[in-house]
Order: sequence, then structure tokens, then C-alpha cells
Amino acid sequence: MNNTIRTNFSSPSIGRILSKPITSSSSSSSCCSSLTTPRIKFRRRYHSYQHPAPGSPFTKAESAILSASLLHVPSHGFSNAALSFGARDANYLDISVNMLPRGVFDLVHYHLATERLRLGDKIDFRKPENELPEGLRNLSIPAKIRVLCMERLRANAPIIHRWQEAFAVMSLAGNISASMSELAKLSDEIWFLAGDESHDTTWYTRRATLSAVYATTELFMTQDNSKDFEATWAFLDRRLHDVKTIGSSVSNVTSYLDFTVHAFANVLRSKNVPFF
Amino acid sequence: MTTRRLSPLLAHLRCQQRSQFSYTSPSTLHARRLVSTGAANISETRSYPKSRPLTEKEREFLQNAIRVNQAGELGANLIYEGQYAIFKRDPRLKSLIRHMWDQEVHHLETFNKLVAKHRIRPTALRPLWNVAGYALGVGTALLGEKAAMACTEAVETEIGGHYNDQLRTLLDMLKDDKDLLQHGELKELIDTIREFRDDELEHLDTAVEHDSKGAEGYDVLFNVIRGGCKAAIWLSQRV
Ligand SMILES: [Fe+2]
Ligand SMILES: [Fe+2]
Repeated sequence: MNNTIRTNFSSPSIGRILSKPITSSSSSSSCCSSLTTPRIKFRRRYHSYQHPAPGSPFTKAESAILSASLLHVPSHGFSNAALSFGARDANYLDISVNMLPRGVFDLVHYHLATERLRLGDKIDFRKPENELPEGLRNLSIPAKIRVLCMERLRANAPIIHRWQEAFAVMSLAGNISASMSELAKLSDEIWFLAGDESHDTTWYTRRATLSAVYATTELFMTQDNSKDFEATWAFLDRRLHDVKTIGSSVSNVTSYLDFTVHAFANVLRSKNVPFF
Repeated sequence: MTTRRLSPLLAHLRCQQRSQFSYTSPSTLHARRLVSTGAANISETRSYPKSRPLTEKEREFLQNAIRVNQAGELGANLIYEGQYAIFKRDPRLKSLIRHMWDQEVHHLETFNKLVAKHRIRPTALRPLWNVAGYALGVGTALLGEKAAMACTEAVETEIGGHYNDQLRTLLDMLKDDKDLLQHGELKELIDTIREFRDDELEHLDTAVEHDSKGAEGYDVLFNVIRGGCKAAIWLSQRV
């Protein structure tokens, strides 16, 4: 965890190493890397059905390295080793890893962002019922939320034994706000894909509640040894049921937060992250 | 032929309405209304040819514009609701306010749908607008019919001007994209705002016809309420 904070080099020569795969690199110094320019903060704004959405918040080079690195996470964890292997696989020099502004956190963030955007390709309840898969038709909104949560959590399965490391990286001071924002975006995505059309204060309560439910379940899943994550799905069902029966009372939300904080603290202590 | 006392600003808005935008005759109003309501349907899958990507700045403008419009229409609804609560025993005022309120309901429903459709975060200050709008409606109605009309005049002047500003920005945004002005999402938004702007100006006319300017302390009332609207718009664009 000691190498997640990095300096953002602005030397054009290093930038060039990253901007082009080494196999096709030329020695001309025509331009600097796009990585050295400040990145546009990916914020969901006006969602259009006619105008293409802005592209990925990651540059081409970053995406190439990070997607290759993710394949090494099961064996090397969310670590610089995984990044170096990934860079090599994507035909970049090892040193190009230094250009990732936030190092290992970028790897975590890449996983979160790509899986969030992929969710809608897998399941989209806004489609007409007859275009949905057999078992997913005529579901209630809570049932849709449940299916979407499960689908997203399943995407963590290949790296679930490493996900606690990701939690530790996300909880470092400089990464907390980006991590929380990613959680909020996922929660918004799930409500959107479930066909929610709220436009008043319930918009906020729904997203806040789901964020809490999802975060606690995701955490639970890292400690789940049951077959096919049965225990996790049962845990998710209990959380969703609690939300439904207790309603949106404040004490309910705070008890979730309380649980999350404690479970989270335990994970961090086990990872030797200074906490409190 | 009646001679109305129009504020200079009203004349200014009217002038813009004629020169820049097509006039909405009542007969086409209903048809247009159906179109614009349909356009705001989230589940509707009408597809347009893919157009140019919107810039970050344009997307931010659209997001803020739709959020502030939703908040504004929410406020307007509550003002009329408040006035209605006081005037409902007066048959003449009752139907007059009910008519304007009904139009505001349509405005709000349209922007509610647009908020959901375009995934815009609704205003976080809803509880505040709930209280403030209703209180303004009841409060001015208690001061009497003319004060209520002065309130309507101030609010509708601000909202009408605000819609005109948005139209200007939108038309400027699309000045190099002639096809986007002919059909598509943004054209529908322009039509919707234009239609609502006309409704707001109608409310403004109604208020002036009912002697809003004869209200006691008109100048103070008018300016305080307009200032409040400006502050509300400023806040809703941000929060
Ligand atoms: Fe209105
Ligand atoms: Fe109005």
C-alpha cells in the first residue's frame, strides 16, 4: 500500500513512452502525452439519447494498461506488480506505470468504472418486457434492484479474494472522495436501469439507501466462503428487506453506516492501514 | 380596445416574442402541448440520427437549466396553491387562479419527466421551495387580491425573462447546427420552453389586467419578490 501515491511526471520524454506502445515508438518528439494534461473529471450531466455521451474518463493508453493489469489482479492483487505486468502485456515499458496519476487506485477505479458502465449492457429494465430474458420479466422495482445488485456484485467474483486490498486503497485519504463518488454513480446507475423516475427528495433517499446496502453487501462478500456466494445473496436480501420494512427512517440509515464503518475498520486493521 | 398598463419589461418580452420566436396561437397550443408532453416520456424510444457530442459546457448548461426550471415550476405551483387556499371562496378569482395553476401543473409535470429522462439531479432544496412558495402565495393573498396579482406579476416577469435567457442561450448553442433546430431533443426542449414562456407571459398579462400595480406598496412588493426569485434561481442552478 506504500506506493499508491505518486508524482505526476510532466517530462515529455517519459510522457512519450506512455503515449505510444513501444512496438511502434518513433524517436520524434512531436507532442506530449495526453496523460500529462489534466484529466476531465467524469461527471454525469445531461444524459442525451441523441448526442453521444462523453467517452471514458481514461485515456487510451491508461485503458490499455489498466485492462491488461486487471487480468493480473487475481494472482498479484491490486498492486504495482499487477500494473507492471499489465503494462508489459499492453506493450508499454514498465516505467509507464509511473504515469498513472494515482497508481494502484487507478486500477481500482478502472474496475469500478468499467463494471458500472458494463452493467447496462448486461441488464437494462428500461427495455420492453418482451426483450428481457425469460426470468427477468414483470419484476417489481425492488426485485429489479436486487437483480442489478447481484449482477454487479458477480463482476467482483474473479477478484473477490483481492477486493479487501481495493477497500484499503479506496480508504486512503486522497481516494475517499473519488471512491464515494463512484459508489454514488453506481447507485444512480442501478436506479436508472431499474426504470426509476423519481424527481423529488426520494431521488436522494433512494440513492443514499442503495449506496449503503450495496457497500455493506460488497464488504460482506469479501468474507463469504459459501458456495456461489449464497450467503451474500441472503445478506443482500435481508438488507433490502430491512429497507422495505423499516422504511426510510434516519435510524435505519445510520445503523447501516455504523455497520459499514465497523466492518470497514476491521478490514483496514487486518490490512495494516492506520485507522483512527 | 383596452389600454393596458404594461411595464417596460413586459413590452421588452413581448417584443422579443414577436421578433425572435413564432407566436403561439391558442389553437396550436393544445397540439404543441401534446407533443411536448410526449417528448418528455422517459420510456419513449424515439430515435434520432446520432448528432455531434455536446460539450462539457453545454451539458452543464442543460443540466442546470432543467434543474432550475423544475424548481421554478415547483415554486410557481406552490404559490398558486397558496393563493388558491385563500381565494377559493371567491368564485371569480377561484377559476382564474385554478386556470393558471393547472398550467403550472403541466409545466411541472413536464420538467419532472425531463429530470428523470435526462438523469438530472433534482434540486436538493425542494423542502425549502415547498415552504417558501406556499408561504409567498398565502402571504400575498392575505394582503388582498391586488397584492396577490403583484406577486404573480413579479414571479412571472422573472420566470418569463429567465426562460427567454435560456432560449437565447439554446439558440446560440445551435446556431451552427441547423438540423438540430429542425428536429431532435434540443429542438423539443426549445419548443417546450417557448410554450411555457408564452404561458408565463399570459399569467403576467392576467396579473396586470387585475390591477397588480394598484397594490399597496407595489414597488416594494414587486422588487422584493423579484429579488427573491433571482436568489432562488441562483441557488437552484447550483444546489
Ligand atoms: Fe410555469
Ligand atoms: Fe406561470
